Amino acid sequence: MVTRSRIAGSAGAEGRVVARFNAPRAARVEADANGRPLDVNHRAVALLREEWRVVDRWWTEDPVVRGYFEVVLESGENTVVFHDGASGGWYTQRGA
Amino acid sequence: MIACLAIPGLELKAALQRTPTLALRPAALAPEPQGEPLLGPVTAAAEAAGVRPGMRLGEALATCPSLALVEPDAAGAERAWEEIVRALEDAGFAVEPASLGVAYFETRGVERLYGGLEPALRRALAAVGTEWDARIGAAGRRFAALAAASVARPGQVVVVADEELPQFLAPLPLTLLPLERGRYEELEALGVRKLGQLAGLPGGAVAERLGPDGRRAWDLARGGAAARVRGRRPPALVAASLEFPEAVGNELTLRRALAGLVESALAQPERRDRFIRKVALAARLESGGSWRRTLTLREPSADPERIRVALAPRLAELPAPVGELRLELVELTEPTGHQLELLAAGAEDRSRLRDGLRQVRASTGSGSVCTVVEVAPWSRVPESRALLVPKDE
Repeated sequence: MVTRSRIAGSAGAEGRVVARFNAPRAARVEADANGRPLDVNHRAVALLREEWRVVDRWWTEDPVVRGYFEVVLESGENTVVFHDGASGGWYTQRGA
Repeated sequence: MIACLAIPGLELKAALQRTPTLALRPAALAPEPQGEPLLGPVTAAAEAAGVRPGMRLGEALATCPSLALVEPDAAGAERAWEEIVRALEDAGFAVEPASLGVAYFETRGVERLYGGLEPALRRALAAVGTEWDARIGAAGRRFAALAAASVARPGQVVVVADEELPQFLAPLPLTLLPLERGRYEELEALGVRKLGQLAGLPGGAVAERLGPDGRRAWDLARGGAAARVRGRRPPALVAASLEFPEAVGNELTLRRALAGLVESALAQPERRDRFIRKVALAARLESGGSWRRTLTLREPSADPERIRVALAPRLAELPAPVGELRLELVELTEPTGHQLELLAAGAEDRSRLRDGLRQVRASTGSGSVCTVVEVAPWSRVPESRALLVPKDE
């Protein structure tokens, strides 16, 4: 999912370890019957602000199929989570 | 207790307000102009003639040739539903609308006010009024409250105690569960037609056969989780509308009208410098129906250009020429939340920042301070847009 190693490898020749900015982080999400998040990392979702899909790199062996949700948690925090179609897992991501 | 207020066929009832005589005749809500030709809710007379909601239009007309089709009035139904929810809120209930015609509320906070559970639920029905044929179900869990509302008659209150819950749910049909149509058929093929039959199966076997949706349905068939109700924040009431002397279908004219509406809505004193998070664009169509779309902005904004750009593509979805266009600012936020710069870009501050970073590097080691380098800012995959590169000098 998070392909840090490939990026790090390409920069290894320069002796620097680079990482992806805004890499996804695995999250514990409970979703409703329609797949919309109800609870993110044990915090309830107060408002679903927006949802969108990202389908990319379908021509490669590592296609990206994600359903993104921008939510406001009960604590007032804005966060973006996505459901990864390939792995079936949920992730949070900044900068989406 | 959690109560569920249900008004089946609210869209049809709202549309029939224009032609109340049709309510006693076989009539059904016509399919959406650009959608599948499937009927919406139907009147009791139509149901008696063999017409069912969700039936194909051709089949319905063959079954009942005198069936009258009622033009959908989406904006009217939304308005009516909003009035109903507000009436409940005015009666002291914290309401969580689930969908058009279904809302949940907790009774605990108002039972003492109205002298008990039943009087409180009666008060809720009275607040809604008799013209909508509302009914209420109450139980310790949300799904059980919805199930109770589904068996209640118009104007009736059905309360299910926790100890009666398994017996109450057992004979109810599977269609109460939020499952895809194929899943019902799969379950019926297995001989499972009632909630009690599903609840009696081992949970692991259901999950293995039907996946997570099946497992969730199995949980609900056993009463569901005791999730609490979250009362909504009542929407703002800032709106602007424009009535055209004759129906307009030209997109350029509609775009100009939209620009005027955005300016006019933003200028209203009720907005009080607040930012807009959610807007609704509604239209009265020449054909007599109505149309409505809501949009949540990615970031709250009070910039008319941004709101106009976000809404303009929706105008292309209008199914017919428009007699009146209306813009509603549904949700407003306080004008806070914008991230300001941590440090102003002054030369002295930059020098202090460099010194600070040098100290961080010295104490935490090489690679601890990074800079963000954009590599593919156009990418749709967020983590491909930029890299974190160590900044060691």
